[in-house]
Amino acid sequence: MTIRNAKHATFTIERVYPAAPARVFAAWSDKEAKTAWAYCHEEWPVSEHVFDFREGGREHLVTGPAGGTRHVFDAVYHDIVPDQRIVYAYDMHLGERRISVSLTTIEFFAVAGGTRLVFTEQGVFFDGYDDIAGREEGTRIGLDNLDRQLRQQRAA
Amino acid sequence: MTERSTKHATFTIERTFAAPPPRVFAAYADAKSKARWFVGPEGWEKSNLKLDFKVGGRESVSGGPPGGPVHYYNAIYQDIVPDERIVLTYEMHMDKTRISVSLGTTEFNPAGTGTRLVYTEQAVFLDGYDDAGSREQGTRGLFDQLARFMEMQ
Repeated sequence: MTIRNAKHATFTIERVYPAAPARVFAAWSDKEAKTAWAYCHEEWPVSEHVFDFREGGREHLVTGPAGGTRHVFDAVYHDIVPDQRIVYAYDMHLGERRISVSLTTIEFFAVAGGTRLVFTEQGVFFDGYDDIAGREEGTRIGLDNLDRQLRQQRAA
Repeated sequence: MTERSTKHATFTIERTFAAPPPRVFAAYADAKSKARWFVGPEGWEKSNLKLDFKVGGRESVSGGPPGGPVHYYNAIYQDIVPDERIVLTYEMHMDKTRISVSLGTTEFNPAGTGTRLVYTEQAVFLDGYDDAGSREQGTRGLFDQLARFMEMQ
């Protein structure tokens, strides 16, 4: 019998990017741009990707190591303020098992030299899956990838 | 131009019921039952509750004081474990303005022959909407109404 519990956690990560808010926002709102940096493990093949970036729209992504566990990301966009804010809810499945549901807020502030991005995740982690530090670390990796991508675009 | 800001908050409410978890869970899962207790304060005008109780299903209801702003509640069910857990995300609008988005987790824990219900809300309040504890207070009011409903069963 599954042990039922729910662990709640909130973490916030800030970054300053060398690009104007509209460009940083586009890295989230454009499917091709987002795919280049957002999905943790660049070496994992993406087998399904649905991307509908609007309030009420959904995102669905299936990835994972070849021959290994399916990692499934399902999101619904709750609030979008162009170039300023995105709020979405998402859940993660490992195989058939839902491991978490989170509410994510991303804010884009214009600062001298670029954009201050503030990423806040409020999550609930289920039934013994409690690698919250791993979730935060994976998020940091993604935001580092975004930094690299924005710098490469500048140099191009 | 609207000044954009956010405030994040988490609160937890616990209540004990004499009825076992499946009966308290049913007060959430059945639309007719939910409409009896999931309502605004007395004196508020209200719409009919719409509920599609399944993962991915939606819930909506609205209401407000006569002549005052209309509060719109719109939810999406994210996780349902029958008789054990419900997780949803919901938006509140006052008239046309979105004032918050929240993640709500309700756990139905067996406690002797009854239930210890634990509700945790993780919310983001938008654009200067000054909550000042009113969301938590309003939610406590809903649990008072649930308790009265359960006593009548």
